[in-house]
Amino acid sequence: MKLDGEYLFNGPREEVWKLVRDPDVLATALPGTQSLNKISDTEFEGVMHLKIGPMAGDFTGKLVVSAEVPPESCTLTVDGKGAAGFAKGVGHVQLIEQADGKTLIKYTGDFQVGGKLASTGQRMIDTVSKSMVRQGLEALDKALQARVAAQAENRPVEYKPPTETEFAGAVAKDVAGGVLSIAEVRMVLYIVPVVAVLILLALILSRCGG
Amino acid sequence: MTAQYVGQRITRNEDPRLLTGQALFVDDVDLPGMLHAAFLRSDYAHARIKSIDATAARSRPGVVAVYTAEDMGAFWKPGPLLVPAPHSIKDLVFNQRTQIPMARAGDKVRHVGEPMAVVIAESRYIAEDALADIVVDLEPLDAVVDLFRALEPDAPLIHDELGTNLASYVLQEKGNYEQARAQADVVISRRIVIDRGVAAALENRGYVVQWNAREQELTMWATTQAPIALRNLVSATLGISENQMRVIAPFVGGGFGPKIMLCQPEEVLLGWATMKLNRPIKYIEDRRENFLATTMERGQIHDVEIALTRDGQILGLKDVFIHDTGAYNPYALTVPLNTQTHTMGPYEIPNFHTEFKVVFTNKMIVTPVRGAGRPQGVFVMERMMDLAAQELGMNPVEIRRKNMIPADAFPHEQGIIGQDFAQLIYDSGDYPATLEKARQMIGYDQFVKEEQPRFRAEGKHVGIGVACFTEGTAVGPYEGARVTVESSGKVSLVTGVGTQGQGHFTSFAQIVADQLGVDVRDVRVVTGDTAQFHWGTGTFASRGATVAGNAVNAAAASVRAKILKHASKALGAPEKELEIVNGQVRVADIPEKSISLSELALRANPMRGSVEPGTEPGLESTQYFGPQYGATAAGTVAMIVEVDTDTLLVEVKRFVIAHDCGTVLNPLIVDGQVHGGVSMGIGQSFYEQLVYDENGQLLNASFADYLLPRSTDMPHIEIGHLCTPSPLNPMGSKGVGEAGAIPTPACFVQAVENALADYKLEILETPLSPNRLFELVQAANP
Repeated sequence: MKLDGEYLFNGPREEVWKLVRDPDVLATALPGTQSLNKISDTEFEGVMHLKIGPMAGDFTGKLVVSAEVPPESCTLTVDGKGAAGFAKGVGHVQLIEQADGKTLIKYTGDFQVGGKLASTGQRMIDTVSKSMVRQGLEALDKALQARVAAQAENRPVEYKPPTETEFAGAVAKDVAGGVLSIAEVRMVLYIVPVVAVLILLALILSRCGG
Repeated sequence: MTAQYVGQRITRNEDPRLLTGQALFVDDVDLPGMLHAAFLRSDYAHARIKSIDATAARSRPGVVAVYTAEDMGAFWKPGPLLVPAPHSIKDLVFNQRTQIPMARAGDKVRHVGEPMAVVIAESRYIAEDALADIVVDLEPLDAVVDLFRALEPDAPLIHDELGTNLASYVLQEKGNYEQARAQADVVISRRIVIDRGVAAALENRGYVVQWNAREQELTMWATTQAPIALRNLVSATLGISENQMRVIAPFVGGGFGPKIMLCQPEEVLLGWATMKLNRPIKYIEDRRENFLATTMERGQIHDVEIALTRDGQILGLKDVFIHDTGAYNPYALTVPLNTQTHTMGPYEIPNFHTEFKVVFTNKMIVTPVRGAGRPQGVFVMERMMDLAAQELGMNPVEIRRKNMIPADAFPHEQGIIGQDFAQLIYDSGDYPATLEKARQMIGYDQFVKEEQPRFRAEGKHVGIGVACFTEGTAVGPYEGARVTVESSGKVSLVTGVGTQGQGHFTSFAQIVADQLGVDVRDVRVVTGDTAQFHWGTGTFASRGATVAGNAVNAAAASVRAKILKHASKALGAPEKELEIVNGQVRVADIPEKSISLSELALRANPMRGSVEPGTEPGLESTQYFGPQYGATAAGTVAMIVEVDTDTLLVEVKRFVIAHDCGTVLNPLIVDGQVHGGVSMGIGQSFYEQLVYDENGQLLNASFADYLLPRSTDMPHIEIGHLCTPSPLNPMGSKGVGEAGAIPTPACFVQAVENALADYKLEILETPLSPNRLFELVQAANP
């Protein structure tokens, strides 16, 4: 399964790099992370609580950072498993300085999924993983902006990461957004209130008639 | 004896209870103190297990026990080979690797869903939660999923010590194909691919086991198609005597083949666990487990070549194929042998070279599913017929008729060995008649000449297909039955086969009712209880009605003879003047001179006094029947389909099947079997396909993603019956259970190609889907 994309950070490249390599920031950027411990400078292990559609469960895993060229690029290797299955993958991340002090992040990833996730979650994996990545990047961006602002004003960072509920809600909205683009679903959502109104009218008129 | 019931379309005895929810299914069994099992199943298709740690799981409240392979000790062993390899075939290669109860630390898991541990707990919820507590340390390995890849020298090995993934090699030859090819005017060769599907019975597998330590007896309620064989094999595995174990197969919600797989890991583990814990245990499989860990069928790739004369006569056929057996091969070669014997079908093929390789892959085990290898053979042959017809400019019906075995050529030896290890012989049949009947029923000529041109002018894509098939049924070895007239005058019939909805409670009762002159509703039938009858093999290969039915007939006839003997003495009239009507034995010309069956039964079992030496008590008889070889049923299907070229959805507008299953016991039940087979056949043509990724992960293990045809997708099925009685059994019957499933994909593909004739498609695969059809249309018309 491929996971490619890009995102524009509102901050300079060096700051983005620092965030990406900071386990405490990463832990909050992806809510559901119960713990993210540093084993070495390039190896982390942790536990994450994931919710994908009707399936939810804890995933224990390892994250390894390699091929580092700070602050340009690195490779992230992830290997996680839990009751709902396993996921492993390799992602390449590139940070490109933009003219206006922003940073463009380009990422390409290749994932393998197995267990319940693979056998019953096929329809959702694509949408949910893209959504999770986007949410994570948005959260990182907010953290970046808070940090940059604090530095500029020389005060401590004020940054509140999204809660697990907010995060799950945002993902659900993305999935529903995907669903709402299906013509039949839109039609049903349109027809149901129309029918309800018609029934109501019929009731009212029958009352008036008698 | 008048046939008042056999051949009649009477409603089924068992339906009132089934339809009002009063029948017993395994999940209805509730025992005091019953525990629940859940199995930890591998998420990886191929991995080496380093360790399995169940400590956390064992300490979860509500968990009674967690077992791994280590805990089983000497009871851990690979399952028995269920079907012997056909050693009568020359130069056979057969590498036996049967399934294991649980994967072991230090060894490997070989397919997604393979059990690694079992949790026994107070409830299924707790048991499943405990599964997440078990820590398995494993090293994933590359999986083998593609059949050809499995045979490459550098492919990962499923069974390391074998040094190869080749499970078996069989070559059979009739005549000399190379000579035939040299003389042919036309030679056509193609590669044909047939893919996997599941049986998807309404009821998943389920077991309740109970070991009674005081009585030293094990009872197992099981959704099995072979209760007697299950008892014999599991009792042997557990080290108890057959007599100590009772298997009860109550009503089962559909068998279709996977439930005749025996010594399944769950069966062995549950039996072993209940003996260890001395408490009853229940396990009901959920649908996802059914997709992953219940046996399935059908992956084959054929390289086939046909050699014909210019006027469409087949000189020879060569078929080289590769068959996927999954991670293990406990069912030996039944499925691919069936493919070999059903490729020739109803046609005269003087030279036939057929060879296959069976490969191990990291997927679930393959064992028979309705059709059991026959659909593949029929698909291959019918596709080649269609290609030949196309090439020679012949009508598809004509080329078939031209090559059919004539009605006077029976018994017809086919020159190769089949799944019952004997030479394939067609006992009886009239194949041209089934073709003609189907052709008439569907109105073939009128459709092709008038209706189709009219549809085409309207821009509609409507097509017709005709496919012919033979069906090996009613194979041995044997079945048995015991008929008893009770002192109430009612009759009890017990047989060893199990029932999964075939109507045994009615069709067998009809046989007995005719023989004994009682009302068919007064015959109480018991099936599938090893305590009541313990010799037999099971329901498979469309054999129940014929093999068990003939045993029932023999037992009933024997009881009839006893009745007449007793009655003759009681009434003082010669036997030949007696008749049995409505439970009364009476003198034909003097109806007042009569005695009831009830009275006779009482007299035949005196409570006091003496009997003559050699007397058997009561009005009872146990008889067995085993045919010399399997009877061959046959038929032709025809269908008309309409393809929507925007959505590539296919609607079956008409479906006709002309079927010959010899003597019909109950046309209503036969029609039901045909309907069921057709719906599975349509599913296998267009809706059902298992999709695996390159890591052996099954991607559509739920009905959200694995499509089954619904009643709204089904056409009205028109059935025509023909009858060439089989000389192989006294009732002249043949099987029909799998008939609908066998030819349908072949006919479907022909009809779709015909509907899309202007797109010039050549479809060499099954199953199809709108998506796949779209791809094929695009590829042929870029």
